[in-house]
Amino acid sequence: MSPSRRNPARDQVAIVGLGRSPYGRDRVGCTPGSLVLDAAIAAARDAGVAATDIDGLCGSTVATAYVQAALGIGRVSWFANPASVIGNQIVAAVAAVHSGMCETALVYHNAYRMPFASRSAGRDPMRRRAMLGLAETRSAWGTGHAESGANSMFGANAYAAWAGRYLHDYGYGRDTLGLVAINSRTNAGRNDNAVYREPLTMQDYLAGRMVRDPLSVYDMDIPVDAADAFIITTTERARDLARPPVLIHASSLGSTDYGIEEQLLDLDHAGQVVVAERLWAKSELELADVDVFYPYEGFSNIALSWFENVGYCGRGEGGAFVRQHWVEREQRILIDGRIPVNTHGGSLSEGGTQGAGHLYEACLQLRGEAGVRQVPGASVALVTPGGYYFNSQGFLLRRDG
Amino acid sequence: MTQDELLDAFPGVRVDQDNAAYYGGLLEDRVLVNRCDDCASWHHPPRSACARCWSRSLTPTAVAGTGTIVLLTVLHQGSRKEGADFSAGHPLVAVELDEQPGLRLGGTVLGADPATLQLGERVRVVVRRLEGRGPRVDFERMS
Ligand SMILES: [Zn+2]
Repeated sequence: MSPSRRNPARDQVAIVGLGRSPYGRDRVGCTPGSLVLDAAIAAARDAGVAATDIDGLCGSTVATAYVQAALGIGRVSWFANPASVIGNQIVAAVAAVHSGMCETALVYHNAYRMPFASRSAGRDPMRRRAMLGLAETRSAWGTGHAESGANSMFGANAYAAWAGRYLHDYGYGRDTLGLVAINSRTNAGRNDNAVYREPLTMQDYLAGRMVRDPLSVYDMDIPVDAADAFIITTTERARDLARPPVLIHASSLGSTDYGIEEQLLDLDHAGQVVVAERLWAKSELELADVDVFYPYEGFSNIALSWFENVGYCGRGEGGAFVRQHWVEREQRILIDGRIPVNTHGGSLSEGGTQGAGHLYEACLQLRGEAGVRQVPGASVALVTPGGYYFNSQGFLLRRDG
Repeated sequence: MTQDELLDAFPGVRVDQDNAAYYGGLLEDRVLVNRCDDCASWHHPPRSACARCWSRSLTPTAVAGTGTIVLLTVLHQGSRKEGADFSAGHPLVAVELDEQPGLRLGGTVLGADPATLQLGERVRVVVRRLEGRGPRVDFERMS
């Protein structure tokens, strides 16, 4: 079946408020809930909406009931806590706004350093307690994995194995992954919100501590305490609010029937393929219209696959493409000498928020508010969060008018 | 064997009605993979329908236990609870069984120098008894 071109929501729904709780590796005294409240209040104030204007709530792991009570959002007609970040939340809110389930939705996601992910977090007894019930969460979804740990192709372990398979099949060395990491770090140098800003050389990269071969510390997202929030409403209403609207031109999730790690037949069966196919079918824009590109790189190899799947190059050519468009004097990727990639520093250097940071930065760029890293005239952004299996997502965003 | 006995044999594993036969088989040192009674295709992890023909009739069936490494990583970091020696590098593989393309099991490779393991290498299944966790599938080199 050829991909449906239906897109009745095209440009009809907009992101009109941005808020965040600063990304940090050493924050204390915060809970997942308090981080979300930081971001939510900031987003609502940015958009110029009050609690009484919000009638929809959509978040990741912090329950909407918590946020609603904590912010005194009196009445909402739509709320949801879908699982995968950040695309599930955004597309659900777009659908809810466009269909009339609500008019103005607050969408949020937070990251919270867990004891297993960070040494300092491991020393915090309250964070250890906060893990109650979280172990085996994935298996509890019933995706099929009944075990986790060192002998299971699960989560990060499997991304490492797929990275190894990619390098092996297409004849690349680890330096190819290194370009993704260095690109993120260079861009992070211009972002005050980034947790790692000092330059990273290829020599540093190659000497990085190996964690899951071939992925080293520089290939995996940085655990942070953080939150991002977005106010989403109709484009019509957005035009009456305080900030320039960012129009959601097209969006899609993508998943195939090989939706768990080691069962993924090959990279042609990744959910990313579905996302790209649907996104372009639904869009009036083309790849050549894109001014800024945000491929998720929570594991560096994921970004190479996004370059391939959105159409910059063919299967296995992502590594060669990145090298071909590498600008040595700037130590970063500029596609065709023009289009920067992950201008904020991505999950590898700004901090790991599962793609929410990528989306936030894309909105800043389209609003012309990215400060020293503003891409002149940026009017179309391609944002592709998520990895291979159950969380691939894509968005084409554009500036209004 | 009762359900309670099966659950007790695998603390820390999410044993359920769909995968009970697989785990029960491990207790007898057998690797049982669901095979469709109607179209003969194999499926793993265990689920209650054939993804190819939607038959609900599947029989846990012993596999030959031989296959090829299709995914490989070496873990250098992990928690002590996981019971692996990360200092030496702990290999983790997905193995495609000879029964059917795409039919894969995951595990470690026992007794192998991780630096010498390669994609495409032939291995055979080993059912390994793990203290406090119950038996599980891992692999050894064929050579
Ligand atoms: Zn069948």
